[in-house]
Amino acid sequence: MDKLMKSSDIRNITGLQPDEIKKKGQEPFEYWGPTPFEARKAAVAKEKGLHDKRTTLKEAVDKYIKDGMNLGIGGFVNTRVPVSIIHEIIRKGVKDLTLSFQSTSLCAELLAGAMIVDPDHVSIKRVELSWWGYEVIGIAPLFRYLVTNGMIQLDDYTNYGMSVRFKAAAMGIPFIPTRDHGGSDMELVNRGRMIECPFTKEDVYLVPACHPDVGIIHVPVADMYGNSRIFGAHCTCPEIAVAAAHTIVTTEQIIPTDNIRKYPNLTEIPYPAVDALIEQPFGGYPGACYGYYWFDMPEFQEFRGISDEFRKTGNKDKLKKYYDKYIFGCETFDDFLATRPYNKLKELRQMDGVQPILID
Amino acid sequence: MAEYGPFEMIAYTGSRVLEDETIVFVGTGLPIIASMHAQLTHAPNLNMIFEAGSLGAVLEQGLPLSVGDTRAFRKAVYAKGLCGAFELTQRGYADYAFIGGAQIDMHGNINSHFEGGTYSKPGVRFPGSGGAGAMAANCEKTIAIMALEKRRFVEKLDFVTSIGFGDGEPDYRRKAGVMGSGPYRVITNQALFGFDEETRRMMLLEVLPGKTAEDIQELVSFELLISPDLTDMKEPTDEDLRLLREECDPEGYFLKRKVAK
Repeated sequence: MDKLMKSSDIRNITGLQPDEIKKKGQEPFEYWGPTPFEARKAAVAKEKGLHDKRTTLKEAVDKYIKDGMNLGIGGFVNTRVPVSIIHEIIRKGVKDLTLSFQSTSLCAELLAGAMIVDPDHVSIKRVELSWWGYEVIGIAPLFRYLVTNGMIQLDDYTNYGMSVRFKAAAMGIPFIPTRDHGGSDMELVNRGRMIECPFTKEDVYLVPACHPDVGIIHVPVADMYGNSRIFGAHCTCPEIAVAAAHTIVTTEQIIPTDNIRKYPNLTEIPYPAVDALIEQPFGGYPGACYGYYWFDMPEFQEFRGISDEFRKTGNKDKLKKYYDKYIFGCETFDDFLATRPYNKLKELRQMDGVQPILID
Repeated sequence: MAEYGPFEMIAYTGSRVLEDETIVFVGTGLPIIASMHAQLTHAPNLNMIFEAGSLGAVLEQGLPLSVGDTRAFRKAVYAKGLCGAFELTQRGYADYAFIGGAQIDMHGNINSHFEGGTYSKPGVRFPGSGGAGAMAANCEKTIAIMALEKRRFVEKLDFVTSIGFGDGEPDYRRKAGVMGSGPYRVITNQALFGFDEETRRMMLLEVLPGKTAEDIQELVSFELLISPDLTDMKEPTDEDLRLLREECDPEGYFLKRKVAK
């Protein structure tokens, strides 16, 4: 036990098994992705000029997505979620992923379903997270299935904890103090630690920086260099994009750089953090994208329904059919969108209610 | 007196608990409805923070169905991301947290991680902390909305997700490094609870008209303290119900839900 380490009185009330609590003290700390030193090297190695980053989803995923990597998923639950990138990752196939996000629904469920359908094609090894579910639509059935069957390892934080772990990474620091997690069982099981603050002499909880190998982000608008504006919720997208060793961005719309230069304060992700950029309208569908479209609840319900049926019956047929038809059966995300009626997409645009955005 | 449903009673009680000139950190559903009702009645200068990063939104497009819903950013006065929302909270700008969970204990600690089995192989896994753990730590006062059932009001949690008063010792929260003062109210459709200042144990403050303290104790696994000033829960008037049904949740997404079983 190192002398900095402190503890709240959580042990007085915890219901966790003693051997589960012991694990934390025994296992040496390890970042589940690039270390701050490795992430710094990746940033330094990049060409820093303004270059056209536009490419296709296939090329971007082929180039950056590798087995064993930490994938940082942008958005928040059903909002501005990088669904088109997830489809492409599943088409390509990738194994032993570590996922990192604060709160997500469909993106992680799609990866989980791909693992259930064919673990030799896609597999998740562990997840650093705060929350995995569909909110008002219901629990995430595939998450529950994987966890209750002991098939993935978890590292639990609060939504602020995960967000600020990305922020610390984006700041280039190895950890950050927070005012949460302490006094909860997360203190006993996650990879943060309580110390005595050298200044106030009070207990303060530190969480480690989280650098994904690859961050995947969907934004409303960007210029061809990757300078991105985000309207509505920023979620934790600016932090993830800068924290990640490499970042793939999809955008509803590419705008001229002159517009970016006119209001540089509106740039939330600066170009050096973006390695690949894809103009993909409806790239967050069926999630919502402020200023463009509201979320498609029946679409979420459909995949969740198929997933929940699998969880209850163990029969993979419908799940497999979904992937065969909508992911493996499509060459591009546009092909997938083409399976959805135009009127439905048009209605989602109307349901956004013309949220004001500034693209000049 | 007009007829009202259990969710309407919870939303109305939530509204009563909120004071004017405050900021409330809301989750999806009933907390938003309670806050809207408060804004329309006794707390016109109450503002909401949504964890995806908005402050002071005007919910004119209808009820957000998700805390990240684009509608939760409509005409906001400030819009950032999760760090923005939680850092305002950590700094002391969020007076109330509205949270929920699967289990609560007598000191207001709440579980939203798992039930049964172990952490690495749980019987049932829930979505996880989400914002709740951070809100319970750093909003000034925590308000929990719970279903009043024995299996939810438990002696011992399977996992402590959202810090309450811990073991009830006076310095538990300080040693945990959190900033908020902790549990304030627990709202159910049949009872309103607070916490005793000395022991930091849950105390029955109000009961649904027609119910007794014994009726409520029957639905709770641990021993409740009973307030010497125990009163009936105030019931919503016709005008309150009109506001809830027509202004706050006209689609009936949350107020008209069927109660399980």
